[in-house]
Amino acid sequence: MDIAELKKKWAGWTFDEVRFEIEAEPLAEFSLACGETLPRYTDPQDPNFQAAPSFAARFHGDRALPEGFPSDREASFDGGKAVDWKAPIRPGDTLIARSHIHDIFEKTGRSGGMMFIVHRMEFSNQNDEIVSIVDWKMIRKL
Amino acid sequence: MILDLHSHSIVSDDGRAKVENYCQWIRRKALSLDGFVLTEHRLYDDESDYRSLEDEFGLLILKASEVETDYGHVLVFGVNEDLRAALDFSRVDLPLQEVLAQAQGCGALAIPCHPGRTRVGMCAHIETRGLVEGVRIIETLNGGSRGEENATALALAQENNYHSTGGSDSHIVSHIGRCATRLATPVSNMDDLITELEAGRCEAVVWESEEWISPN
Repeated sequence: MDIAELKKKWAGWTFDEVRFEIEAEPLAEFSLACGETLPRYTDPQDPNFQAAPSFAARFHGDRALPEGFPSDREASFDGGKAVDWKAPIRPGDTLIARSHIHDIFEKTGRSGGMMFIVHRMEFSNQNDEIVSIVDWKMIRKL
Repeated sequence: MILDLHSHSIVSDDGRAKVENYCQWIRRKALSLDGFVLTEHRLYDDESDYRSLEDEFGLLILKASEVETDYGHVLVFGVNEDLRAALDFSRVDLPLQEVLAQAQGCGALAIPCHPGRTRVGMCAHIETRGLVEGVRIIETLNGGSRGEENATALALAQENNYHSTGGSDSHIVSHIGRCATRLATPVSNMDDLITELEAGRCEAVVWESEEWISPN
């Protein structure tokens, strides 16, 4: 598999866009599930109430990969998510999440060759302010 | 002087540690470490400047790379423009022989790391393809290696009279300094470090019972 060709063809363009309406209760539930104790994350009555920093990681788009992307689910597994917090997410916000393939690269480990596909979701609020960037790594054995 | 010669920061795709947090951890835990080398995966970080952290924490922080070859992973110290022009660091199948030769020609130093690991270590490849000319130093203590992998590496070094180094291979803050390298002469920059390593004035050490121990 030519990783450079794959990256050239599939990386860098938006293949999915979804909308999320933000409500207070799920924000507080997520924070409590994460073990947060600060009222600004757990108490909707707090004047600075907002989502916990990793909140955007709970969202999925309509597609994990662009239509037609050569995939092999049986040889793939989840490589985890990294969240880059940019600005608070608050109840009443409307978030637009746009997905693109941010990177495709290869590395070797004890189990052999692996291809990493980095799915990036950029979350903007109703003011076109980017509030969170979530990189989701999908790993495929080669 | 004790340096951790193998560590990764968030610059590496799988690194989860910020360099500042490594420094804070070393000081807060009072680790007996004089500094560390950032060996980022498949790239050389020419943007980050850690001099202010060196001053603030009194640590030596040097930059290097970990590349991937047909004989497993290799640390490269003294990366410069010539070497980066000669080798595509992003490749996962660089010929080890070429990495060794190009490093030597460019004034750098290549050291196979975690040689006892399957697939990404040199030992398994030696079994099927033989020794590689030009290897003089290998990493015999790696903080991320399992079970007998470090013992396998040490045996390889002893059989072939290779010099040895140690490094934590840390990807998270609390792993820095799990293994390290003792240098006979203190160094203050990459050139000095390469000189000491090439001269073999180094040994791999691990922190046990409140002191650095060499398993050699």
